[in-house]
Amino acid sequence: MNEAKNPNPLFMPITYLTTESNKTGSWRFLHPQYDEKTSPCSVACPAGEDIARIEMLASQGLFKEAWETILRENPFPSVCGRVCFHPCEGQCNRRELDMAVAIHSLERFLADTAIRYGIKPVLEKRPSQKQRIAVIGAGPAGLSAAWFLSMLGYACHVFEASAEAGGVLRWGIPLYRLPLNALLHDIQQVEAQGVTIYTGKPVSPDVLEIMKKDYDAVFIGCGHGRGMSMNVPGEDLKEVSEGLDFLRKLREGETPPCQGVSAIIGGGNTAIDVARSVVRLGGKALLLYRRRRQDMPALELEVEMALEEGVKLQELVAPAAVARDEDQVVLTLQEMKIAGDEGGRARVAPDEGKTRKVRIDRIFKAIGAQADEPRHQPPAGDEGLLSLSHTVLVRGNQGPVMVFGGDLTNETKSVVHAVASGKEAAMALDTLFREGFEAIVPKLEACRVGEGPSLSMEIYMGGQRRLRNPHVVRYEEINTDYFGFIPRVIQPRLLKEERVQSFEEIDLKISANLAMKESERCFNCGLCNQCDNCFIYCPDTSVMRDKDHQGRHINYDYCKGCGLCVVECPRNAMSLREEES
Amino acid sequence: MLTEIMDREFVYSGHVGCPGCGATIAMRFVLKALGEKTIMVLPACCWSVITGPYPLSALKIPVIHAAFETGGATASGVRAALDMMGDTETTVLTWAGDGGTFDIGFQALSGAVERNENFLYVCYDNEAYMNTGIQRSSSTPYGAWTTTTTGQDWKRLRKKNIVEVLVAHRIPYVATASIAFPDDLLRKTQKARETKGSKFIHIYASCPTGWRIPSEMSVKIARMAVQTNIFPLYEVEDGRKYTINYKPKEYLVREYFKLQGRFKHLTDQDLDQIQQMVNEDWELLLHKAGDRS
Ligand SMILES: Cc1cc2nc3c(=O)[nH]c(=O)nc-3n(C[C@H](O)[C@H](O)[C@H](O)COP(=O)(O)OP(=O)(O)OC[C@H]3O[C@@H](n4cnc5c(N)ncnc54)[C@H](O)[C@@H]3O)c2cc1C
Ligand code: SF4
Repeated sequence: MNEAKNPNPLFMPITYLTTESNKTGSWRFLHPQYDEKTSPCSVACPAGEDIARIEMLASQGLFKEAWETILRENPFPSVCGRVCFHPCEGQCNRRELDMAVAIHSLERFLADTAIRYGIKPVLEKRPSQKQRIAVIGAGPAGLSAAWFLSMLGYACHVFEASAEAGGVLRWGIPLYRLPLNALLHDIQQVEAQGVTIYTGKPVSPDVLEIMKKDYDAVFIGCGHGRGMSMNVPGEDLKEVSEGLDFLRKLREGETPPCQGVSAIIGGGNTAIDVARSVVRLGGKALLLYRRRRQDMPALELEVEMALEEGVKLQELVAPAAVARDEDQVVLTLQEMKIAGDEGGRARVAPDEGKTRKVRIDRIFKAIGAQADEPRHQPPAGDEGLLSLSHTVLVRGNQGPVMVFGGDLTNETKSVVHAVASGKEAAMALDTLFREGFEAIVPKLEACRVGEGPSLSMEIYMGGQRRLRNPHVVRYEEINTDYFGFIPRVIQPRLLKEERVQSFEEIDLKISANLAMKESERCFNCGLCNQCDNCFIYCPDTSVMRDKDHQGRHINYDYCKGCGLCVVECPRNAMSLREEES
Repeated sequence: MLTEIMDREFVYSGHVGCPGCGATIAMRFVLKALGEKTIMVLPACCWSVITGPYPLSALKIPVIHAAFETGGATASGVRAALDMMGDTETTVLTWAGDGGTFDIGFQALSGAVERNENFLYVCYDNEAYMNTGIQRSSSTPYGAWTTTTTGQDWKRLRKKNIVEVLVAHRIPYVATASIAFPDDLLRKTQKARETKGSKFIHIYASCPTGWRIPSEMSVKIARMAVQTNIFPLYEVEDGRKYTINYKPKEYLVREYFKLQGRFKHLTDQDLDQIQQMVNEDWELLLHKAGDRS
């Protein structure tokens, strides 16, 4: 029948409205939200580098941006990618799945790439301030202080006693670990930021007095350049010398004599560097340490490579006396025994009556270092003294503020701790000038990465990073369904035979391809990498794209609070909290 | 996965699916893959309710609400009408739950695919009659509690293997898919759309309410179903060519059962038995796919 003529037309109900009038957000009692958090590696990094973000950018091939992200917190990526002890890797969440991300290799890769392509960083810089700051010592502490201060708009003049800048990086660490180019690049960058470095300018007490008139603040980062005494008879024989001096001569281009056997006393970086350098110069190296190998402050990998290269090690021996015997020296060694535990290392005591002798050609002392002059040390007493985590600030009655940093004040003496002190000094001085003395401590507290002690300059300067939750992401908070087993990159190295022939850098470059693969291993703990899972899985079509930095937001008119987005976020960049009623 | 496809949206907010509803996630994915030239036949199922009361609709495409048992037949009619109008481009999609597929709509489905009607039948499987109050279906798995298999009378019968039933009809394309594997699901749906004749996709869609799981776990559970081989991802072309899409390694079914209230009465012994059943099914599938001789 013709439908139009049908007296009882077929009634077909047709929907004409959408369910959008139904605000299902009222069902919600849990509230999901974007909540970027803090990665454990960035907390462990004394310079507070934003590692989770650096690796995220690197994995996207944004090498320049990744490198700039390092520079915001550390002006020495080329150096630290090579010689830093990378405490970050020791806290990497990925260790629990397979192995830590090779953060240091990636740092070095990013720096090498920037050098190779001559990339110039584009970094935020505050407008010029009227105060002028003098920095004494162009080691990593002084240069970092100058770098961050000039970021904050201050004119900085660095005065360095030696002919070139770099401190231990220039005159201590051997070339096979830190090639000159790698160092120069980082230093040139500090200069390009607007820092002036005057070399060959030792600052004597008189000069310091004049400086105090010209500058509003003085940063003192003179380092520990003087060796310590063994306090044993015969120590002043000409065959006994300072390991630091030996390394310095090498870096000045000399070839100090090394034939025969050299004994090196100590178990730290200096000892290992001297021993390995001796081997490279064709000599035999005998390392003598008062504790055991596992107690050495030097990096385990360095010790291992030293032994591979032919360095001999005797543990649990301390020097007792030195005597000349014709054209050699005889070193009497006191045997030591373990007498307890001292913060995870063995405490040792002389094993009375047990001594032995070794015949050698010379002795290098590497048993620790101290300030060149006592005046480099911050004064004792607490009048006008502010001890921070990496620096000591001294405010006299008149004259400028003095800040002591680097090895002079750091408990752990390392490059990255020196960087940390430079950063802390810059923040403290800026706060002092702008808001006064009392504001320093609370201001620094607000710039901690996680619970601290590392500080972030990006947070200080009001960057995006300040919005992060200080909660440190734990492994259990990562959704490991999204991460399979991927082996860690293997650092290519020179062969042992090649190593001992010269001072060529041992660690070879990794390719961009390998670097990207390695950075993809990173969970980016706590950060959103725009994976879109929240959008994809939302059963309520309540995740909306937008153009802000998060790239999306939750439409709470409809979100029922199921929490799926929070669980399916691979990297814990979201949180679920109870809805406020 | 193409971002443009993921970015298009055919499900409105404001629908009345439970929080964490897997069936809704499945719907979003399938419609993204099929696009706007789609007509849906919706026999009685959760989605008849989810899409909202008259005159509201949660879907941006035309939907015909059909009687429980008529998913296959209604689709055949819609297809015939479209063909008569010269529209061969529009996809006819039957969207049915497990009750409407495994049990009540079974004869209409079997009839339609036997005729090799040119349409796509998607069964989103939440393993019981959920919106009527969690009654057991022939899709309810061995071991499950439902409101009709309570206490010690939990279901002691196997889940019907609906995929093999459809394969036996020798239709051009049969596949399983899971809400936890969106790339795979979208690809299969697009493949189905491009294939002529009858297509059947069996989608595992978790149900927080009926399974007694927290709403935020529904994708996790779906993923585990695949990882444990309880719900393997595979596709079968022309009733013969099997392809297994995902080969998990060594996950125990125990992990999957432990997380769900509907299985909480099972003893270790029961779980061992279920593990054996799952292993046996998996071996059988491997044989069919030619991965075991
Ligand atoms: C051999 C050796 C190997 C090391 N290896 C590592 C390593 O692998 N990784 C690591 O992290 N750390 C290592 N360290 C430690 C690290 O080098 C130091 O902790 C770091 O260099 C300290 O930085 P700083 O700026 O405080 O001092 P320094 O680097 O010592 O710099 C101080 C600078 O101040 C200058 N100066 C001193 N007095 C004056 C003055 N009156 N006027 C002007 N200038 C002055 C000095 O010439 C020097 O350039 C090593 C140390 C040594 C000695
Ligand atoms: S996985 Fe990445 S972000 Fe997480 S701790 Fe390791 S390096 Fe840091």
